[in-house]
Amino acid sequence: MNVLSYSINTLKGLYDISGVEVGQHFYWQVGGFQIHGQVLITSWVVIAILLGSAALAVRSPQTIPTSGQNFFEYVLEFIRDVSKTQIGEEYRPWVPFIGTMFLFIFVSNWSGALLPWKIIQLPHGELAAPTNDINTTVALALLTSVAYFYAGLTKRGLGYFGKYIQPTPILLPINILEDFTKPLSLSFRLFGNILADELVVVVLVSLVPLVVPIPVMFLGLFTSGIQALIFATLAAAYIGESMEGHH
Amino acid sequence: MKNVTDSCVFLVHWPSAGSFGFNTDILATNLINLSVVFGVLIFFGKGVLSDLLDNRKQRILNTIRNSEELRGKAIEQLEKARARLKKVEMEADQFRINGYSEIEREKMNLINSTYKTLEQLENYKNETINFEQQKAINEVRQQVFQQALQGALGTLNSCLNNELHLRTINANIGMFGAMNEITD
Repeated sequence: MNVLSYSINTLKGLYDISGVEVGQHFYWQVGGFQIHGQVLITSWVVIAILLGSAALAVRSPQTIPTSGQNFFEYVLEFIRDVSKTQIGEEYRPWVPFIGTMFLFIFVSNWSGALLPWKIIQLPHGELAAPTNDINTTVALALLTSVAYFYAGLTKRGLGYFGKYIQPTPILLPINILEDFTKPLSLSFRLFGNILADELVVVVLVSLVPLVVPIPVMFLGLFTSGIQALIFATLAAAYIGESMEGHH
Repeated sequence: MKNVTDSCVFLVHWPSAGSFGFNTDILATNLINLSVVFGVLIFFGKGVLSDLLDNRKQRILNTIRNSEELRGKAIEQLEKARARLKKVEMEADQFRINGYSEIEREKMNLINSTYKTLEQLENYKNETINFEQQKAINEVRQQVFQQALQGALGTLNSCLNNELHLRTINANIGMFGAMNEITD
């Protein structure tokens, strides 16, 4: 009995360090729905970071930009370049959308990897990047779907549906399937990358807390940045593809 | 035993205290690693980022400077063209003022010279006519004289006999002797 309670205590001590809480969520009840509170909290923090830094940087715009304004102008040029390459000539109305996608995903991924969320303890679940929840990534992917449908329909009207039988009508089932696989792949790619990196870091930390996780954390920063860029580029590519047509 | 395992299960499903709070376990919160990662990121990223941003700023400065220069040059050229335009306009005005009187003068000169030429031509014409007239008259006179002479010669030859011839020769000798005496 003593041995058993002693081993239980040791187990408890070990468990305190090696708690990995995947699938544990901090539920809030809103209306008839249960939502994941921790995702909302971190999303709000990301939004606050983005809006706050943007507002700070463009407080007094000057012709010769200061460092903050310069940095944001550089980011804007980068996003414009991505949109222009993928969408083509009519890229201007889509820059805000692509920019939001890119910046939100990038900042949320990097905040999840860099900010010490674990300091704040929640009753259930833990704070981490908002994009490690499948709901977030599916929402972003569905937004992209809606966006490229909207782009195609406004540009070409009902002739947009003619693209399903291009180049040959035999490919009709595949083209229809594409409309489902595009958001699916977008969401799962992002979700898988972010959650997997997080899990690897947590497991490594639980095994060797001090120096070994550091290269993996750098890898995580790199891949999460790339994933943000990929998501934005693919969204722009889908929009451009649905707008181009064959005329 | 069952209570212990039950409480174990309880612990598994509800790990911490079940409330908000701060986790002070430095190892679990990964603070050391995070600070290392943060530090390295800032250290290298700052250099790269400031390079990028400085390049961008320089490019903007250069573009602004170039466009200012071009603007200055364009304004200079505009000023020069305007000055030239003013000069040409003044000359045109002057020409307009002086030009008319000059035109009139030129016209009068031209008319006068034409008149003179016309007069000269008239003179030539008249002279030529006179000359031809004279020539014709002379020719006629010549003809007349010739005929008269021929007639005279004929009559002389016809009514000239020896006696008349002798008398004529004697008269001529006497005339020539008289002329000789006068000239001596």
